This record gives sequence, structure tokens and C-alpha cells, in this order.
Amino acid sequence: MIANLVVGGLAAGCLYAMVGIAIVIVLNITDIANFAQGEMAMLTTFFAYWLMDGVGLPWWQAVSIAIVFGLVQGIIIQQVVIRPLIGGPVLSAIIATLGLNVVLNSVAGLIWGHQTYTFPSPFAFSPPFLIGGVPVSVDSVVNIAVGLVIIIGMTLFLRFTWTGLGLRAASQNQTVARLMGVSITRTSAIAWGLGGLVGGIAGILAAPSLFLDTNLMSALLIKAFAGGVLGGLNSLIGVFLGCLALGVAENLTGAYLSPSFADAITFIIIIAVLIMRPEGIFGRVRVRKA
Amino acid sequence: MSAAADIIRVSKPRTSGNWGPVLGGLFLLLACAAPFGLNGYGLYLLTLTGIFALVALGLNLLTGYAGQISLCHASLFGVGAYATAILTQKAGLPYLISLLIGALLTTAIGALAAIPALRLKNIYLAIATLGFGVVLQKIIFEWRSLTGGGGGLALAAPIIGGYEVGATGLYYLTLAFMILGLLGAWNVSRGRTGRALLVIRESEIAAGSLGIHAPRYKVTVFAISAFYAAIAGGLFAYLVRYINPESFSVGLSISFLSMVVIGGLGTIGGSIVGAVFYVIVPELLRGIKDAPGLAFGLLLVIVMVFMPQGLWGMLRRLWRRS
Repeated sequence: MIANLVVGGLAAGCLYAMVGIAIVIVLNITDIANFAQGEMAMLTTFFAYWLMDGVGLPWWQAVSIAIVFGLVQGIIIQQVVIRPLIGGPVLSAIIATLGLNVVLNSVAGLIWGHQTYTFPSPFAFSPPFLIGGVPVSVDSVVNIAVGLVIIIGMTLFLRFTWTGLGLRAASQNQTVARLMGVSITRTSAIAWGLGGLVGGIAGILAAPSLFLDTNLMSALLIKAFAGGVLGGLNSLIGVFLGCLALGVAENLTGAYLSPSFADAITFIIIIAVLIMRPEGIFGRVRVRKA
Repeated sequence: MSAAADIIRVSKPRTSGNWGPVLGGLFLLLACAAPFGLNGYGLYLLTLTGIFALVALGLNLLTGYAGQISLCHASLFGVGAYATAILTQKAGLPYLISLLIGALLTTAIGALAAIPALRLKNIYLAIATLGFGVVLQKIIFEWRSLTGGGGGLALAAPIIGGYEVGATGLYYLTLAFMILGLLGAWNVSRGRTGRALLVIRESEIAAGSLGIHAPRYKVTVFAISAFYAAIAGGLFAYLVRYINPESFSVGLSISFLSMVVIGGLGTIGGSIVGAVFYVIVPELLRGIKDAPGLAFGLLLVIVMVFMPQGLWGMLRRLWRRS
């Protein structure tokens, strides 16, 4: 029972973590909390659905093309909307992403309507795995595996490639990074592209169980923010673990304490943790200077 | 704009003409005459604008002046609405008295919301206050014996001094509170508190070294903005005559924050312009065939891209140039 809940929580947590990673990449480099991240992912997922249902491509091809779509979408949004806002008040940029959130949502609504679609999954009918006597659905295993691949891939990318190093440099000090020859506009575009890509994967993995409609990602987005804050937004691993912890905590409070208060209790835990560790559990505390 | 410039602007007596009072008087006259020229729906929208402007005034003190983000204001608005409704309907108190008691209660809760703000900043604070709001909303939802739970509460028209207050009466009541709120916010922002808040926004360390007790001011400004939200909530409950917990969700909190930013952070007039934008513009766009959301979202993005200082900042710049 408890093992089941934990695995389910980890699977949900991995979905939060993917959205969380997408948010954090963008946040660390442009200082903008991207409220449109969820709707960008939703649009990517709808695009994948259209490729399968309208064009008739098989799952793998549709998903691969959709992921590229997510990347391009992120770069375009950065170039058109975000670039003029760099250097202005951060809160204005955040509200602009909020407007974008509304725009993307209504665009999807105009094209696909507001009904609910079933998004196919190639793993839907596979029998569950037995891990240590606990039956685990293939969907959960896939979520967790993809989550792990993304976090490991991202960490390696940020640590060992020139582009990744540039991203990290830009997130620490933009002036110095620019002096070292890192183009801020380019890094920012890369960050938004990566955000669109990772978020899109989360949408495609979430859609089979949550069902596809225009509000697919709204709950996920808030959870991703909450998990990221819990772990600490300035460390990628922190965000990942924070989101996993959130998923597990939700499942356990829902089952053992009170199903209707699960959300509220989870948030109380988050607030309590934040009061004790204001930068999140794994966040590095920055030395404050005036 | 830096804090220093802001503070100088705040304390400087107005030099450029005396058009301010004239324009203000003109608007007041227009606002008083409005019920005679509007149909029922127009009056409803105008009252709603006033109510949202009240919330935005309080929130702007918190976000624009003190630099603290809050995503629990919809819930505080909701607590004000429920407290007023329950005290009037179930305890049988006069409407205005329960409005005040409800507001004081919400003020205390708002001060509680400041506790995470003593240590948290930016997004961390946003998520903590969001969580606080979710908890409040959940309590309203689950306390069925008192609040009616998900079924909501239907309300009768309020009675003040033996007279039933209709739509027009409620409009004038909202207008009165708006003017009081405007004067209050004006005083807070131009006085010692407002200046202290501006310094806190720029640097808490600098504030501390100037002898400004930042935690005390943060709690104060959270409480003040909660008071504004609660009064607005109490008016809102009787404007729509039916409240349920779903009306006070995170989405509304985000809308409140957007009003403040669109209008102009750290400006009194901006709060009102933001509320007008948020209520009236979607109404104007309703005519556009099946894309009101799209148009509103686009407008939101365009305003932010071209006027990052908000609509009020833009208006002020145009005014100075002419």
C-alpha cells in the first residue's frame, strides 16, 4: 500500500519536476517566472495529438516532431515577447507571460475547442511491472525514467558543454558573462527553447492520465512552482528532489491524513519548510549585500 | 526609478499647476452622476470596478511600495466577503457593522500572512502566500456548517438604517469607500510609512541602518492591504448576492496582481486605472467573435511590452510632455 503510494507520488513528482526544470532554466537566466510554461507545454501536446490524429503519424514520430515544435516555440516566444522586456521591471515581464498564458490558452481553444480528448500512450495496455512484489504501472516507470534521463542530461549539459557553461555563467552574473563573450540574448533564447522542450515532454507524458484539454497544465504549473521553491530554485537537483518530495507528500497526506485537505496540508508543510529554510531545502543561501 | 528619486518625488510639493484637484473634482462629479446615465449592467460593472480598485489600492501599497508579492489576496477578499455575509445573515448584525468587524478580522489574518514575508522574497514569497491562500480557501470550503461549503451562500439585499440598499445604493457606498480608501492610501504613501516602505523595497539592510524596523512595517502593510481587500470583499458579496469558495481562487489573486502591474506599480492612480482595464476592457472585447480571451491576452502582452511602467506611468509621461 505505502510502496504503491510512494511510487505513484514519485511518478507524479517527476512530471512536476519536468515542468519545474523548464521553469528554473528560464528563471535563472532571465529572472522571469514563466507563467506561460504550462500553456506552452499544452500547445505542444495538442500539436502532437494533431500529428497523430489529423496527419496520421505513428506515436514516436509525432512525439519527436512535437518536441522539436516545443523547442522552436520557446525560441520564438523569447524573441518576440520576452526580448523587448529584458532590462525592464521583472514583474512586468511576469505579467506579460501571464498574458501569453491567456493567449496560448485561447489559441488552443479556438483550434481544438474546449472539449476533452484521450491522448494515446503506447504503454497503456502493457501489464504492470513487479518491483520487489509491488505492482508498478508502466506509465509510472516511464515517467520516472524520463524524469531521471532529463535531470541527468541537463546536469551533464550544464556542466560539460560550452553552451551549458555559458548558461550558467549568464545566470550568475550577466555583465561578467558578456565580457567573457557569452551572448546574453542567445543564451536566453536557448534557455526558453530548452524550457519549451522539457515542458513539452512533461505535457505529452501527463496527457494520457490527465486527459488532454486546454487546462491540461494549469494544476501542474502551480505544483511545479511549489516543488521548485521547496527544493530551492537555484539548484537543478534541488528542484528535482523538491518536486519528487511534493508528489510523494501529496499522495501520503491524501491517503493517511485527509483526502480533501491534501493540498492545504502540503502547502502548510511547504510554508513551514520555507520559514526555516528561506532558499529552499537544497538552495544555496546567497550572501546579501546592500 | 531608484528609491531615492521616488522618495524625493513623494516628498516634493506639487509644482506643476493645480490641475490635480480640478480633474479629481471632475471625476468625482462624473462618478456621482453615473447611476443616472447607466443601465443596470453598466452600474454593476462600475461598482465592480470600484471594488476591484479598492483591492488594487491595498495591494499596490504592498507590492508597489513595499515590494512584497502576494498571491493570497483573493482569499483575503473572500474571507472579508464571507465574514460580512455570515455576520449580517446569521448573526443578524447591521450590514455596516459586520463589514467593519469582518474587515478587522481579515486584517488580523492578513498580518498572519506577513509571517512568511519576514524571511522570504520574490517567488518564494509568492508561493508561500499562494499556499496561505489555498489553505484559507480550503477552510472556507470545508467549514460547511458556517459557510455552506461548495453550495455557497445566497444573500438578501443589505439594510442600512431601515432602508434596503439596492444597486444604486451599493454603488454610492462603494464610491464612498473608494474615496476613503484613496485618501487613506494617499496618506500612507506620502507619510513616514510610505517612505519607509520604499526604502524596504530597495534594500532591507539600508532600511535597517536608517532605523526602520522592517518586520514591523511589513506586518503593518500586509495588514493594511488585507483591510482594503476585506472591505472590498464585503461589498462584493452584496453586489453579486451569491458567494461560493470557487470565486476566490488563485486565478483571482493573479488578476489582482496584474491589475496593479498594468496600472503602474507604486502609484495610487495606477491601481484605479488597472481595475478599470481589467473590468471594462474584456467587456469591450466581448463583441469580437469567439476570441475575447485572445484579444485580452494580446492586449496584456502589448501593454507590458510597450509600457513596462504601466498605464499610469504612460499617462503621466504624456501629460508632462503636453
